[in-house]
Amino acid sequence: MMTSTILLIFLSFCIGTGVWLFFLYAVKKGEFDDIEGPKYRMLDDDDVEEKTKDDEVGKL
Amino acid sequence: MTVIKELTCDHCAEPFSPAELVTDEIAGTTRNFCCYGCRGAYLIIRGAGLEHFYQRPDRQAGTLKEAFNLRFDEAYLARFVRHHESADEISLIVDGIRCASCIWLIERLLQKLPGIISVRVNFATHRVLIRFAGADISAAAICRKLADIGYLARPYSLDELQQSAHREMRSLLMRFGTAVFLTMQLMGFSLALYAGYFKGIDLQTKSMLEYFAALVTTPVVFYSGYPFLRGAWVSLRNHQPNMDLLIALGTLCAYFYSLYAMMTGAEVYFETAAMIITLILAGRLIEAGARRKAAAGIDRLLKLAPARALRFEHGSWSEVDSRELLPGDMIQLKAGDRLPVDGIVTRGTSEIDEAAVTGEPLPVFKECGDPVVSGTLNLNGTIEVKVTSAAAESFLARMTAIVEQAQSDQAPIQRLADRVAGVFIPIVLLIAAGTFIYWHLRDGAALLNAVSVLVVACPCALGLATPTAVMIATGRAAEAGVLFRGGDILEAASGISHLAFDKTGTITIGRPHVVGITLSHGTQQQLLQGLADVEAGSHHPLARGILKEAAQHGIVPKPVDRSTTHTGLGIEAWQGNTHLIAGNRRFLKEQGIDLPQTAGAGRSEVHLALDGRYIGLVTLEDEIRPDAQQMFNDLNRRGYTSVLLTGDREDVARRICSLLAIDTWHAELTPEQKALQIDALTPAAVMMVGDGINDAPALSKATIGCAIAGSTDIAVESADLILTRPHLANIPFALHLAQKTLVNIKQNLAWAFSYNLIAIPLAASGMLAPVYAAAAMAISSVCVLLNSLRLKRQGHLP
Repeated sequence: MMTSTILLIFLSFCIGTGVWLFFLYAVKKGEFDDIEGPKYRMLDDDDVEEKTKDDEVGKL
Repeated sequence: MTVIKELTCDHCAEPFSPAELVTDEIAGTTRNFCCYGCRGAYLIIRGAGLEHFYQRPDRQAGTLKEAFNLRFDEAYLARFVRHHESADEISLIVDGIRCASCIWLIERLLQKLPGIISVRVNFATHRVLIRFAGADISAAAICRKLADIGYLARPYSLDELQQSAHREMRSLLMRFGTAVFLTMQLMGFSLALYAGYFKGIDLQTKSMLEYFAALVTTPVVFYSGYPFLRGAWVSLRNHQPNMDLLIALGTLCAYFYSLYAMMTGAEVYFETAAMIITLILAGRLIEAGARRKAAAGIDRLLKLAPARALRFEHGSWSEVDSRELLPGDMIQLKAGDRLPVDGIVTRGTSEIDEAAVTGEPLPVFKECGDPVVSGTLNLNGTIEVKVTSAAAESFLARMTAIVEQAQSDQAPIQRLADRVAGVFIPIVLLIAAGTFIYWHLRDGAALLNAVSVLVVACPCALGLATPTAVMIATGRAAEAGVLFRGGDILEAASGISHLAFDKTGTITIGRPHVVGITLSHGTQQQLLQGLADVEAGSHHPLARGILKEAAQHGIVPKPVDRSTTHTGLGIEAWQGNTHLIAGNRRFLKEQGIDLPQTAGAGRSEVHLALDGRYIGLVTLEDEIRPDAQQMFNDLNRRGYTSVLLTGDREDVARRICSLLAIDTWHAELTPEQKALQIDALTPAAVMMVGDGINDAPALSKATIGCAIAGSTDIAVESADLILTRPHLANIPFALHLAQKTLVNIKQNLAWAFSYNLIAIPLAASGMLAPVYAAAAMAISSVCVLLNSLRLKRQGHLP
């Protein structure tokens, strides 16, 4: 009983610390620098070609 | 030798092979197209009366390319390339990014070039970070490719200040993240310890939980809390107690006492220390975000001035850094160039688009001797300009300085909190010391009681009083479409008594449309046709209104042979042998045309005469926003004074004011005069509502500047308050919310103080064990939070 509690506490501690370290890594990598762009990029198709001209006209 | 002129399409301006030629006879001239699609697009654009699209500077690819290419000097760009082991890297600021499609296009297009490793466009700042292999492609080639598709790229190097601001933001985020993750862990341990305190727990488990708690609290106090500790140290050295000192004292006390308690087997209060730091860091992070947005605005304002200029030296034109330009230098500007500095035209004529700086929508014709202003755009001719002020003293630099100054002022609420702390801390310290000495003499639990005093006096509720209310109110406002840029703005908004409004684009929609046609001679068809022909090339909003009306009647404008624009008056044009005059009443009178008297009721009129014979006029009206009436009713009912400040004519202003029951108006104002009018209203707290960069000085000058959705970038960035939806009714709502928030903050502060007033004596008299003191402190914080949360339910006006 006691050992399982200790084990669980220790496990939660490790998971929490892991998530914290991952967060630090993400900040260092610049994941939080542009929080506007991704929501637009998400909608982009990777494979559609020949769209450049439409975009130019669309700008008017 | 014969030169074969390359065929270019009249729509897309791309060269193509003669085999694909599609021709069409349009309005008397033969047009060449590369395909039927382009022909179709041309007809649609022409049919909509938008022919001047083809005269737009950004359309004239040839001239633009020429102007852009000058800048991409290999040696100059090389200075901005950073070399890493795996790749080279360059940061560019790209002009012309307007929407997500632009980002898509830039990223895809560059990625296809050989040697490009990665391209990342930052949507918010318009910065592009490119990693490439220097051996395969040069920085200049990348810029040229971008110029080919119509984006002007400039190298960008973060200056010292921006770099440190960026680092600061990142470190704040890391400190806050650390605090959040570790405090969440800590809460688990603390919950178990609290349960153990009331229900019983074996000593072994208790001490293990305490060790874990100490382990996660240590980084929160010393890493996340470092800014407070440093601030406290500085304030101690300067003998000026501030909020940081109070926070540091509270956390360190709780932390070290807990360590001591852990050794001696008493109760620990690690969560007190961690919670204070986490919550206050959250407030700081929100504030830093708002400030960063403001800094981006200044960046964009400066971006209007190009970094390079063509200067005449030693008998030829050579490219120099704009910052090196001195008064007296001669510089040359081609079509599509922006002015880097202020100056006077010495050779050539051109139309200058001043919209970005003065808000005047009509391009202004400039010739020898006319002054030109930095940041404006040279539209069609090549001109030579004599520099009158260095870049650092130019109009743009002065505007930037005004905006920067306005934004860097410290929030008054923060100053108040510091003043309070200055009195509060010494008193608390004295009481704690007194408690210790008193109980020590009486052989009581001296240390425990002293800690109780410090814990119960912990500034949590005091520290939370303002940020939580501000946070929740700004959140509620954002939901409704109102953006407050910081807590100080909320506070200032609650004290507003006067409101000043810009007219065009703020109270009105800014797109005049035809409301009446009056004929003297000829037919309606003739009138609209004539006006459409003359106005087809104009960018003036009135011209657009007329062209739209003409298009609705199925009229396609015919090109004119020659036309002269008389600024502020009208246009004169020749079409074969026909002489057309279109413009305002004064202009036609000056041209010797006899016109009948009409009741000009504050509307814009455009008259037309053909070969000296008066045809008639169209009346245009700029539509008032549908909720303007409602807003002014609300404002009047609540006792605000409204003023209209417009660059438009007196009679137009008068009509709008009588329609909307506005108290006073000032017409025919320049941007500087608008700012002066704001000054004249002080010491009353004034809110200026505007949309153009011509309002920017007034927006900065006013106690609060409010920009409306659809405003120019500069207006938005120099504003303190932004309506993200064009609902004028949100203005009274914002003011009301601000007042409610201030009341809420005062309630919070009053609660926090009265709580201290009761709890500190209890703790000092030894009636409050630290564990109850901590609980009482938590309850106090919860009360403050709950009170602040009431703002979330703040509905629209009662």
